[in-house]
Amino acid sequence: MITIPYLTAVSTYFSYGLLFAFGQLRDFFRRFLDWWLTSNLQGYAPICLGHEDFYIRRLYHRIQDCFERPISSAPDAWFDVVERYSNDNNKTLKRTTKTSRCLNLGSYNYLGFGSFDEYCTPRVIESLKKFSASTCSSRVDAGTTSVHAELEECVTRFVGKPAAVVFGMGYATNSAIIPVLIGKGGLILSDSLNHSSIVNGARGSGATIRVFQHNTPSHLERVLREQIAEGQPRTHRPWKKIIVVVEGIYSMEGEICHLPEVVAICKKYKAYVYLDEAHSIGAIGKTGKGICELLGVDTADVDVMMGTFTKSFGSCGGYIAGSKELIQYLKHQCPAHLYATSIPTPSAQQIISAIKVILGEDGSNRGAQKLARIRENSNFFRAELQKMGFEVLGDNDSPVMPIMLYNPAKIPSFSRECLREKVAVVVVGFPATPLLLARARICISASHSREDLIRALEVISKVGDLSGIKYFPAEPKKIEHTNNDIKLD
Amino acid sequence: MYVRALPTTDVNRNTEWFTYPGVWTTYILILFFSWLLVLSVFNCSPGIAWTIVHLAHFTVTYHSFHWKKGTPFGDDQGVYNRLTWWEQVDNGKQLTRNRKFLTVVPVVLYLIASHTTDYQHPMLFLNTLAVFVMVVAKFPHMHKVRIFGINADR
Repeated sequence: MITIPYLTAVSTYFSYGLLFAFGQLRDFFRRFLDWWLTSNLQGYAPICLGHEDFYIRRLYHRIQDCFERPISSAPDAWFDVVERYSNDNNKTLKRTTKTSRCLNLGSYNYLGFGSFDEYCTPRVIESLKKFSASTCSSRVDAGTTSVHAELEECVTRFVGKPAAVVFGMGYATNSAIIPVLIGKGGLILSDSLNHSSIVNGARGSGATIRVFQHNTPSHLERVLREQIAEGQPRTHRPWKKIIVVVEGIYSMEGEICHLPEVVAICKKYKAYVYLDEAHSIGAIGKTGKGICELLGVDTADVDVMMGTFTKSFGSCGGYIAGSKELIQYLKHQCPAHLYATSIPTPSAQQIISAIKVILGEDGSNRGAQKLARIRENSNFFRAELQKMGFEVLGDNDSPVMPIMLYNPAKIPSFSRECLREKVAVVVVGFPATPLLLARARICISASHSREDLIRALEVISKVGDLSGIKYFPAEPKKIEHTNNDIKLD
Repeated sequence: MYVRALPTTDVNRNTEWFTYPGVWTTYILILFFSWLLVLSVFNCSPGIAWTIVHLAHFTVTYHSFHWKKGTPFGDDQGVYNRLTWWEQVDNGKQLTRNRKFLTVVPVVLYLIASHTTDYQHPMLFLNTLAVFVMVVAKFPHMHKVRIFGINADR
């Protein structure tokens, strides 16, 4: 639940109105001036229909330097950001050869596997030398090596399901699997803030999609009852299949899903549960096994568990874990398995080594240390930010914390000022988030030390004062130091 | 003073901002401040200022609600390309609170403008024409109707 000061809401609408008005004005004059120029389309249709690109041209390009910043080192706790300059007011940006060393608060490097690791990297290099960088084939032709088989077995052990299948790309996992699982005549109930890969997959499947209010199991039950009673759209026949799609941690909110209630509702109405653990696998739970471990849900109750290896494991790709029959079916039907290139072998080795470190099978307790550290870091950072008066979303234990900015002008001001102080943050605005709710999203990593976090807090506090985003009153500092002043004799 | 922003179930990013708190107030405040601006710039009588605000409001809202079709970004792959903003609001459901509010505002503006100009011509004629077009365009029966093929797709 987001609490906005009323004045901020009104001023945000007004700012966007002003930006749109200026954009329309500039477009109007541009159309006037372009009338005299001849068009070189040669009879072809224009690429953009109507004012489809209005937002990109008139709003996004103004602050383009806050997004897509290139980096030139591994995404560790500190990394090198390439400096860019623009000669035409941010329409085009040119890279320079200079880099600046910044604190990384944007990478999904939850457990610190994003850079050199003493257990994983030597094994990855060895696998690169033995198997080379790509398998050059799809899984069914010649792309399954022993490492792939070991990876799938590792994933089943880690996640706690009977079988798993691994794909080369996390986004493609969702968008290629959902059409295979459900088709026309089925119903997909998706959380309103689900990731665009799920939305894409759902739209591509041809099933009817209904959206329920974010993380509200009571609304899910109401929508489910209504839909089961009504049946398919025009024929009112019963639905062939109903799948409820939820995420473990929602990447823009940092909130953890209310999984036990959702699973209880789905059991009652005989719907399938599809859980997307992209951000939660490896990052939450006592031994890193994700949201099911954290909330005490039996993995046998979740029918399809999906996850990606990009966040906590420092690699690429995604997996689907489920019953043996489900995975067998997917291996025969899913186009991402049959036609897409398999995951590169060194990346697969990285995942296997990362899983071994997390489970402690490499002989040390580095995995447990990393998990404890990320939990400590997240809770410390979130508590300190809230004490300073920022509005921070997300539940405790979640390593993703969005700081609300609201006003469109605060997006570039926060991003650029932080970069000037050598702290790199990711800011998100419309249309990835709702219009009113622009935010800066901080991702904490296990490789951040306490000094890094304190430095980040200082910078964010200073920039927050400059930008005016401390919407809540700051908690007064404890008055312990006055006692020291009194004891002067 | 804080308000809660409940997440909506509207997937259309172009219209979902209208469901958050503060929109109605902002709309009314913009109208009021533009009236003050017109008064200070043109140094005219309040009635003429309200007429100018009413007609400008008509032009701007007719263009953005009932003429421009589609969404200003390409993420939704063009599913709303045939619908104007008015037809997209609230997922096409008619007679919701938002729609009723947006229908009432031009009528109230018309009443204020006519009253402050003492119902004289030619302001009365222009104001009446504007409010007539505005209100007819917002009727539930006009959903997806294109008269004489004006603004229809190819």
